[in-house]
Amino acid sequence: MTLPFLSIRAVRKAFGAFVAVHDVTIDVPKGEFLTFLGPSGSGKSTTLYAIAGFQDPTSGDVLLEDKSLLLVPSHRRNIGMVFQRYTLFPHLSVAENVAFPLRVRRRPDAEVKRKVADMLALVRLEKFADRYPGALSGGQQQRVALARALAYDPPILLMDEPLSALDKKLRQEIQTEIRRIHRETGVTILYVTHDQEEALHLSDRIALFKEGRIEQIGTGEDLYLRPASEFVAGFIGNSNFLPAEHLETENGTAKVRLADGSIIKGVKATHALGRGQKARLMVRPEAFRLTPVPGNASLAVEIVDTAFFGDRRRVVARTGSGDEIDVRPTSDTAEPGGADAASGRQIFFDPATAFLFPA
Amino acid sequence: MTANALRRQSFAGLPAGSGGALPALTLVGLFFIVPVVALLLRSVTDPEPGLQNYAALFGSGTYVRVFFNTFLVAAVVTAVTILVAFPVAWMLAIMPPALGSIVFGIIILSMWTNLLTRTYAWMVLLQRTGVINRALMGLGVIHEPLPLINNLTGVTIGMVYIMLPFMILPLVGSLRAIDPMTLRAAALCGASPLQAFRRILLPLSLPGIAAGGLMVFVMSLGYFVTPALLGGTSNMMLAEMIAQTVQSLLNWGLGSAAAFVLLAVTMALYAIQLRLVGAKRLGGGL
Amino acid sequence: MLLDYDRLGWLRAALAGFTALVAAFLLLPVVFIVLLSFGSSRWLAFPPPGWTLKWYQELLADPAWIDAALTSAKIAAMAAILAVLIGLLASFSLVRGEFRGRQLLRGLLLTPMVLPVVVFAIAIYAFFLRIGLAGTTTGFVIAHTILALPFAIIPIATALEGFDKSIEDAAIVCGASPLQARLRITLPSIRIGIFSAAIFSFLASWDEVVVAIFMASPTLQTLPVKIWGSLRADLSPVVAAASSLLVGLTLALMIVTALLRRRLSR
Repeated sequence: MTLPFLSIRAVRKAFGAFVAVHDVTIDVPKGEFLTFLGPSGSGKSTTLYAIAGFQDPTSGDVLLEDKSLLLVPSHRRNIGMVFQRYTLFPHLSVAENVAFPLRVRRRPDAEVKRKVADMLALVRLEKFADRYPGALSGGQQQRVALARALAYDPPILLMDEPLSALDKKLRQEIQTEIRRIHRETGVTILYVTHDQEEALHLSDRIALFKEGRIEQIGTGEDLYLRPASEFVAGFIGNSNFLPAEHLETENGTAKVRLADGSIIKGVKATHALGRGQKARLMVRPEAFRLTPVPGNASLAVEIVDTAFFGDRRRVVARTGSGDEIDVRPTSDTAEPGGADAASGRQIFFDPATAFLFPA
Repeated sequence: MTANALRRQSFAGLPAGSGGALPALTLVGLFFIVPVVALLLRSVTDPEPGLQNYAALFGSGTYVRVFFNTFLVAAVVTAVTILVAFPVAWMLAIMPPALGSIVFGIIILSMWTNLLTRTYAWMVLLQRTGVINRALMGLGVIHEPLPLINNLTGVTIGMVYIMLPFMILPLVGSLRAIDPMTLRAAALCGASPLQAFRRILLPLSLPGIAAGGLMVFVMSLGYFVTPALLGGTSNMMLAEMIAQTVQSLLNWGLGSAAAFVLLAVTMALYAIQLRLVGAKRLGGGL
Repeated sequence: MLLDYDRLGWLRAALAGFTALVAAFLLLPVVFIVLLSFGSSRWLAFPPPGWTLKWYQELLADPAWIDAALTSAKIAAMAAILAVLIGLLASFSLVRGEFRGRQLLRGLLLTPMVLPVVVFAIAIYAFFLRIGLAGTTTGFVIAHTILALPFAIIPIATALEGFDKSIEDAAIVCGASPLQARLRITLPSIRIGIFSAAIFSFLASWDEVVVAIFMASPTLQTLPVKIWGSLRADLSPVVAAASSLLVGLTLALMIVTALLRRRLSR
């Protein structure tokens, strides 16, 4: 078995009585794009700071190629980092900013020059070499920061919510840029964000943080299709949670009764539940259909509101017991005019795509 | 009428919103500008029209020595003040507020305490038989009392004491304006603490140092009380010389000429200072 | 990391140690003078051979000291009131006015703070000699008001800049006259600035030495002039007693300021 490239072992960080990170363990293979996803305060940034050396973990270890980083001061860790705020040096030009890490390493002038040119080409800012950071837009500043962080070929690049200060359109543009740069350089990236779309777009794997612990780690598909908990299901993608009562589980499928009395059979049973135990049934909005499909379960609802978004339609439905359901069938499955506000309608979903979590 | 239109309302004939400044302008014009201009005119009219006062001022070794002394003291005071103030301001900019407020309290107490009181304390502390000499002799560091007063040493100690708050307080402001993340970024880029200091922290705080240093230099140039009490007769400074020329020698022409030189230098440096920080931030310690 | 208190390592200890030394340096003369004022040695020996209150008795028994303190208080109070009123009006112009030369005006009104006091002192002294105001309370108050004016304008203008003008406009739209809006809405909102202005301009006059030395007459002496005269004569411990009372006053003023600021900023 080969050693993992970067290994985070039982890292724990406590601030007094408050534990920000509970014994987090992750192995990261070389070249991977791993995202720490989670709400604010879930410990993802703290874990990243432990790797960067801005905070010492209370216990645990961080190993790079089997050597502990903890006793190495930040400036000798040889790690690249892009921050949430633009941390360019305001008194240095773009080229001097990118050259900075090479200058402090006392690399020869010719190499510095060549490397700076390469890096600015990589982030497509060749024309801005002599500008000062104050004269750049937010997106351009973050690209310079990226060039600076990569200039010294660090084996690991840390990115701490680098796009959170940018507007939506620019965010998507730079996401594409980051993917390209990851492909071209092969650098191992640890990326922190609270934006699940960003995480899904960029990452090879996602570690979902909750209250200082990793709730689930896997590919975006894993987290979306096989959420380990209600929290994961709620955080990744959109979801409806319906109160339910577990009736019985047989052959890996469960039978439940919803609050309006309807019985749903054939739900994948991922958690052991007792008979009569309170549970929550999760159905993705896009799993619903407005027209009957053979083998699907059906729910009697009242259509409260409906809106058209081009590629899909969004319908708000209400069950007999008053639970609101977000329904987003793709446009081709929704008959136009059929989704007008009305009572006495039915919506349909495949129970095999639904999940049952203990309440 | 909209609020915007109200904003543009003006007093009869006056430019919008300038009326409020009239009392201040009258006061400053009548009792500041007029007397100062009258004084400066006196330098070329008293006792008779001509430049003889300036000739006397720059022709005499005694007065040239006073100029030299003044600039020397101001430069030394400024340099020492910057060196002492920077680490303190650095610490104050980042230390926990609870701890920092104690230091701030001490700085404010020293700044607000009567100037003569503070100078008097240094006169007593620095005299031949004062605490500092006794302590040094008691420790066996010296065997004879050091001459700490009535010379440049005394003036420097006393002036640095008085100028420190004026350097520390604005410098804390400009150090706090630097994003700590920038320094973290420098460290991750591979900069050792020394490199990060020399290449990032120092250049970024340089405008604050320059502005504060210039302010201290300008204030020191024209300082009267402390040099007069702690300095010696052999190294008199300009302000004291002006006061003496007018008060004791009653030589208004020469005193006015010296005052004009002091004013010209001060205003020139003040103009640079304004360029550096803008009129708004002047007096940032208040 | 150089600006992270928790990550400075040995540097933090060095900086903290140095800061403590400087704080001690700043505190030393103040504490020292208070201790000496209770010492029994006429020659200010330290540590004092014994403790006594006789310097305070001597001080309080001397009507010249009491007179000087009362004169100082009277002049400083008048100068502070004038400086705050004039400074308040001027600040509205400087912050809100829309006219050319506003920055120039600002620079002009702040100049008395930058100009070496000795130049102003002999200038106003000569001027007052000519118009017969030298050695009068009126002359004192005028000169000190000019010196205090920048200390009044800076905090008031800063507070006014931080005050959202549209709140005042809202009051006017609600039916208040512009004057009512300023008096009832704007002034209460910038009261911390006005309060600071009052303290600073009072201190500017109360502590002023240079102009006072020129303006003083045998019958009109402020406290700094009285101290100055004593210092030139000898280092009497009575001055230490007077100084200690001034330190006490400073401390009281600091505490009152802190308390009032806390209350006003609620």
